[in-house]
Amino acid sequence: MNVIEYKCPNCGSGMVFDSETGTLSCHSCGRKDNIEQIPDPLGQQAFSADEVQEYHCTSCGSVIIVEAETTATVCSFCESAVVLGDRLSGSLAPGLVIPFSISKEKAMKAFRKWCKNGLLTPSGFMTADRIKGITGMYIPFWLYELHNKVEAYGHATKVRAYTKGDYRYTETQHFDIYRKLQLNYLRVPIDSSEKMNDKLMDKLEPFPYDLLKSFRTPYLAGYVAEKYSYTDTEMLPRAKDKIREYIESAISSAVSGYSTVNFTNKEIDTRVKNVDYCLLPVWVVHYDYNRLEYTFAMNGQTGKVVGKPPISKAKVAAWFAGISSLSFLSLKIISWMMGGGFL
Amino acid sequence: MRRQGAVLAVLFFFMVYLVVPGQIMAAAVEEKILIYDEAKLLTPEEFDELNTMANEYGAKRETDIIIITSKNGENVDVQDMTEAFYDEHAPGYDKSHGNAVILTMDMRNRDVYLAGFYKAEQYLDNGRIDKIRGKITSDLSSGDYKQAFEKYIKTSYKYMGFKPGVNPDNILFNIWFQLGGALAIGGIVVGMMVYRSGGRVTVNRQTYEDASNSGILDRQDQYIRTTVTKHKIEKSSGSSSSGGGGGVTGGGHSHSGSRGKF
Repeated sequence: MNVIEYKCPNCGSGMVFDSETGTLSCHSCGRKDNIEQIPDPLGQQAFSADEVQEYHCTSCGSVIIVEAETTATVCSFCESAVVLGDRLSGSLAPGLVIPFSISKEKAMKAFRKWCKNGLLTPSGFMTADRIKGITGMYIPFWLYELHNKVEAYGHATKVRAYTKGDYRYTETQHFDIYRKLQLNYLRVPIDSSEKMNDKLMDKLEPFPYDLLKSFRTPYLAGYVAEKYSYTDTEMLPRAKDKIREYIESAISSAVSGYSTVNFTNKEIDTRVKNVDYCLLPVWVVHYDYNRLEYTFAMNGQTGKVVGKPPISKAKVAAWFAGISSLSFLSLKIISWMMGGGFL
Repeated sequence: MRRQGAVLAVLFFFMVYLVVPGQIMAAAVEEKILIYDEAKLLTPEEFDELNTMANEYGAKRETDIIIITSKNGENVDVQDMTEAFYDEHAPGYDKSHGNAVILTMDMRNRDVYLAGFYKAEQYLDNGRIDKIRGKITSDLSSGDYKQAFEKYIKTSYKYMGFKPGVNPDNILFNIWFQLGGALAIGGIVVGMMVYRSGGRVTVNRQTYEDASNSGILDRQDQYIRTTVTKHKIEKSSGSSSSGGGGGVTGGGHSHSGSRGKF
């Protein structure tokens, strides 16, 4: 039961996950099955990483060429959606998934619109159809629940200034401050895929967690999915790093009413309460422009697009000139209204 | 896109037009004599140049910008000399006894007096005219008369462009400040646009915080001590030199004024 395929019980053609309806659907006869009610064919056998395995497409019998991380893909010969069951079982079994809600067509459209709206992208960008490929990918994420006990010690001052006679007095009151905080963060997402750029993935957030579903393989049918490259313990430092800035800002916002605040010591005790293995939907677009390849990612639920687009120098210059002229004009008008000459 | 470009181009040229000072129109009209160089401080070429300049700049402000230099054989007070000149010569751009600003140099006592009449009295009040005198005094002291007179003409012209009552040296009125500020705003805005073109992080600390179980458990703010420092307030040393202010001429013409040594 290594390779899972979903065949339509009515007509026998391959079924894929349909992002519009959230069901497993058959393109030939239009049958739609509720995913929650399909028995999951995942076995319990675990996959060992050293094991060199060959997967054969159950439809055409050809060898499915996959990378070591791939857990779901499309057969390159017959285009049937296949799920590699043993890479999703045992310790590799995802707990949660957010299914795609944006279809491929919508994603392409949204991506084109995003490119056109780019104020600094060259106008030639997107006029020709140069999308090299758009892939719906389930990216493996670890969702951490981190509980932090924070104790911060510091020194704060209140400064008051006043004049008396010929002298100007500055009165500084010094305080020792102490704050103890409990900061719990739920479902902090860290991508555990080796291929995806961390910064790009961070910008894709937030994912709508209210749409989280318990994992079932049919959600992957027709999409590409990966298994994690790094374990949750390996990714924990990055998670801690990510919440560090949240903690810092929580500490500073806990102290108010002072002129200056200086922390001398911060003790942060982070406990991992829970980690979920989760697959999150991302459209990955590869795009060719001026012989360079650009990669964009789109949140498969919210439609947020991230990625560095090409920048047109001419447009940058035009915007710079335009904004500068307008600000110059406004400064002129301000000075004129204040009584200065216009020229 | 093309239209947008056109609009931007127009804006750009407008900016250039504002920055490049309007080409001073070659005055074809007859020139008045506005410099009375009795003390012979200027060469004939310098005299011509300054007189042309005074005519040009004065015309824009509808004010005669006049310079008088005197060896002061009769040892008259410099202010009296200025007032007597105004009464006798009846200068003025608009009419006789009209708008005029006069710089009088008494080479005998090394006194200098500046007076503004009518429009110039209003626009070059004692404060502004004091500032003009402050700007040229060092050049006068070092004998750099031509440069001092040039500065006097240009500064009078410039200051008369500001409504009475505002500080003409306000940095907001400085074209270089305006230009620099505008370019800085443009740079910052476009920089932000480039920076944000790749998408930006839209999560903050509230996104993942479990608000119901997070918060401040304990706080202590312990007062330790108070320190006080004191500084003597520097008194702005009043009017640097004599000052003097304005007055009324024998002929009954009121004027603003500023006097000093050089």
